[in-house]
Amino acid sequence: MMAPFFKYDLFGDEFSLIVAVLIGFAFGFFLERAGFGSARKLTAQFYLTDLAVFKVMFTAIVTAMLGAFYLSWMGFLDLSLVYLSTTYLAPQLLGGVLLGFGFVVGGYCPGTSVVGMATGRVDALVYGAGLIAGIFAFGEAYPYMEGFVYSTDMGAITLPQLFGVPYGLVMLVIVLIALLGFWAAPSIERYFGNRLTEEV
Amino acid sequence: MTVATDFAPSESLREGATSAIESRRGSPFMNPYLAGIGLGLVLLAAFFIMGRGLGASGAFSSATALAVEKVAPEHARANDFYLGYLESGLDGHAMKSWLVFEVLGVLMGGFFSGALAGRLSPTVDKGPRISIRGRLAFAFAGGLLMGVGAKFARGCTSGQALSGGALLNVGSWAFMIMVFAGAYAMAFFVRRQWI
Amino acid sequence: MSQSRPPSKWNWILAAVALVLAAVSVGGDPYRGHVVTLNTKELGMIVDAEVDHVTAEELADRLIQGQTAQRILDLREPIAYAEYHIPTAENVVLGDLVDYPLYRNEQIVLYSGGGIHSAQAWFLLRAQGFQGVYMLLGGLDAWKDEVLFPSLPTEAGPEEIAEFERLVQVSQFFGGSPRHGSGEEFVATPMQMPTVEPASQVPVAKKKKKRKEGC
Repeated sequence: MMAPFFKYDLFGDEFSLIVAVLIGFAFGFFLERAGFGSARKLTAQFYLTDLAVFKVMFTAIVTAMLGAFYLSWMGFLDLSLVYLSTTYLAPQLLGGVLLGFGFVVGGYCPGTSVVGMATGRVDALVYGAGLIAGIFAFGEAYPYMEGFVYSTDMGAITLPQLFGVPYGLVMLVIVLIALLGFWAAPSIERYFGNRLTEEV
Repeated sequence: MTVATDFAPSESLREGATSAIESRRGSPFMNPYLAGIGLGLVLLAAFFIMGRGLGASGAFSSATALAVEKVAPEHARANDFYLGYLESGLDGHAMKSWLVFEVLGVLMGGFFSGALAGRLSPTVDKGPRISIRGRLAFAFAGGLLMGVGAKFARGCTSGQALSGGALLNVGSWAFMIMVFAGAYAMAFFVRRQWI
Repeated sequence: MSQSRPPSKWNWILAAVALVLAAVSVGGDPYRGHVVTLNTKELGMIVDAEVDHVTAEELADRLIQGQTAQRILDLREPIAYAEYHIPTAENVVLGDLVDYPLYRNEQIVLYSGGGIHSAQAWFLLRAQGFQGVYMLLGGLDAWKDEVLFPSLPTEAGPEEIAEFERLVQVSQFFGGSPRHGSGEEFVATPMQMPTVEPASQVPVAKKKKKRKEGC
């Protein structure tokens, strides 16, 4: 088992930057393929007229989740060496709400805004400027907020660890939720799409 | 510069359209499930090769930290938040970080896909009931909110939701749920912008 | 107005695959499991090639040079560990070893009093997929003999004397005391074990800079 390659020192920091560009290229490619360079498409999720965001996100999560599990279980990948970020519950809950607000107000998320910029969207550019302004505001306020920012530290913890259930069980639940959403999506889109047409 | 405006229902009746919101120009979008599998495999590759997930907001943070450092070096270095980003780059260059290079890749990949599909053109994405000026103001405000939120949450949808989600990270799932909740809550109030 | 198409045949197939994969996985553990598969041939070859151990002198040299990147694990009882342990060593009993927080990409050196426990520990960790695992050849006994209390037999040639001078320095670094003279004298002179944290300065090696891996 020599994966993750980088963690086993199979290549150095300089080469990892090349890897970064390649992975980013594929990432941006598929984001644009899905139409996520368009703010209208992204925000339609929150008016329930186009649930592509849910479909793409959960398909991606399920694919990577199952893939990582099986690769690790079969001994090709050491999952414990894949970076798991620390859970700071309170700030992450707050951050999530703010991000949700920002998503439907701004129309993008940081990753998709880059794709938007790449395909010529001026509003994505303005959004990016707002992003930097927001990070700056956070940075300036940081010394006064440091306590809160690092509060409710739960360590690097996974859902199966938290609930004391088998890893596969959580994966099964997630797959079921995803499939349920996928199955209900066409009806939801049709219902809200029709309502919209009637309004407009 | 063309402006992408009206959400006219009839426009979506295009050959090969796979979903309600279709592209106005060029080829139709890819089937979302297919794109999702593609994205998932890219994420898996990141796990397998680098032992880390994807991200985006971190690159913007590095840029911000660098900008602050250029303008006010002592202030930047005295602040732990900026300092963290300034020191995380290779050889002390804040922009020589994995995320910055990854985001450069995203830029190129997005451009490449758009060019391939004929979907490149200067536009402002918005609904029919708002002006361009209004839309841009909202875009900035949204970015501001997200910049703050992403820093509290240690990431955005690509990093926390997607990567952390695939690893069953507790904080990532809590974050993801709140993102959807917050967005749905706010959607009603800004619907003039989109529909 | 078009909506997304109803599920096609491929959608159903993919959904079924995902469901099956998730269901099958419920019993499994993607992390360091207790049920492992071994390549016995490979293990035998490693032992033959003698790349499964380090000598006390090699370890001493590494510590003197300030290389603390490896994890040194002391497998003895806590009482023995408290009395004396190799600098930077951590105390783990064999039963706790398989769940002890270790990363598979780390260099790990195992030692016990003699060598039996460290050999068993080596095997256990190897079975769990650790590849950078090494036993301290001869265990703590060899550490005492070669590093802490190196000896110079009375009939020693010039080369051996020069080598002994170097060993004296090493020994003093770790707070030991070199011995002179022949076999009988060894038994007579009581060997004073150095205090747990030797006065010598074990230089703190530069910890690998924590890479920001978040987003």
